[in-house]
Amino acid sequence: MWRSSTRRAEAPPISPSLTRATLLSRAAKGGAAIAVAGSALGRLVGTAAADPLPDGDLAYARLLVTTELLAIDFYSRALAAGRAGPRLAKHLRLARGNELEHYQSVAQILTGAGQTPAGASDITYLYPRGTFAKEGAIAAFALTLENLMVGAYLGAVDGIQTPPLKVVAARIGASEAQHLAYLATIKGLASFEAFPNPLTIQQASNALDAYTA
Amino acid sequence: MSKRSLALIAALLLGASLGSGGASAGSTLQPITVFAAASLTDVFPAIDRHETYSFGGSNTLAAQIAQGAPADVFAAANTAIPAALYAAGLVEKPVAFTRNTLVLVVPRSNPAGIHSVYDLENPGVTVDVAAPQVPVGAYTLQVLKQMGIEQQVLANVASEETDVRSVLAKVQLGQADAGFVYATDAKTVAGDVTVLKVPAWAQPKVTYAMAVVTRSRNQAAAKAFVAKVLSKAGQRVLARYGFLPLPQPVPGKPAMVGAADT
Repeated sequence: MWRSSTRRAEAPPISPSLTRATLLSRAAKGGAAIAVAGSALGRLVGTAAADPLPDGDLAYARLLVTTELLAIDFYSRALAAGRAGPRLAKHLRLARGNELEHYQSVAQILTGAGQTPAGASDITYLYPRGTFAKEGAIAAFALTLENLMVGAYLGAVDGIQTPPLKVVAARIGASEAQHLAYLATIKGLASFEAFPNPLTIQQASNALDAYTA
Repeated sequence: MSKRSLALIAALLLGASLGSGGASAGSTLQPITVFAAASLTDVFPAIDRHETYSFGGSNTLAAQIAQGAPADVFAAANTAIPAALYAAGLVEKPVAFTRNTLVLVVPRSNPAGIHSVYDLENPGVTVDVAAPQVPVGAYTLQVLKQMGIEQQVLANVASEETDVRSVLAKVQLGQADAGFVYATDAKTVAGDVTVLKVPAWAQPKVTYAMAVVTRSRNQAAAKAFVAKVLSKAGQRVLARYGFLPLPQPVPGKPAMVGAADT
């Protein structure tokens, strides 16, 4: 493992300008998808104002915010490494754009509850050695990451108590499943799952621990 | 002194042990007396071995300063307590000087089979924590609340301690199945405990702040001590003991801690 904050030459650091404000601003420019997700959250904020969200829902939001930050960091580093061919690079760019929008959606749950979501600089990202050295390694880690995200969002759909938040989690989970399917295809994995397994919050947290500090 | 400041000091007093902190009650000349958070027990003497130190829970030390204990410098494991003393006119403007992280420690033998913070919910587990008035106790509550498991884990709390080193000792001796301490404290007994991560997504922002005590009769020496801790050499010693640097420090301009920055 190496820490993203070190100067080891495996991949250049992502822009230090990726602050919380920048993440939120970029996502806000992300297009129609976020506007739709945002409308669901708009209804939620009204609900939350009258009836505070359960601690368990806010815990899920914190976990998922950090998961999205990891994904944004990974896709940014993967693109900056310049090892991906045009086909994979296109996917990396699209996926990063999606993750930025997801970050904003989930972060809004916390800001709507009067809390401050984590930003890029609040987390140290850890990657296995060689993650960005070759196209195959990038695709392999992306596959691992998207598996984690699909499991985490499926678990959130089950574990979250507030109905509008379940909808947001389900929609983001579907988006992550699209990333996963594409990556599985280019990795030559032809298997599809009828019922992908959800991760409990503990399982998702433990999995995330391997890549964040 | 404003009503708000008085209320803050009263809260500190209520939460603190009023017993002796072991501070030198003698001369206020050299060496100065430094009241410091228990987690600084090893590193401060390594930065300056000539001073007289009194280590304990930051809230207890603050209460002693409010009662007139002869301290020259106060260093706490959070920014809120120094800010409250500053608002009450008891210390000069505090400066942030280092950071830390929270970890979970279990005895080496790990009889309760604890492998993550979530395992603290299991029936029969005995958890040791610091009292909520102590910074590490407040951070512990913050972690549990952020993970959505506060009520479940608090049901397993067997004892509340007055400072972080007491929590560490209980776990080290096997008198508790687990406890939350700072990463730097865990390093001091590395052979006796196993360290488990607090998830990054639930990690509190642990920032230390220090200030010269207004009543100090040796202001120059007290300010020199603060400068020594903030110096490159002081920061190197802190790093050697596992403390973290402040984010994006501005050279020559240490971060100031205001009442709102707590």
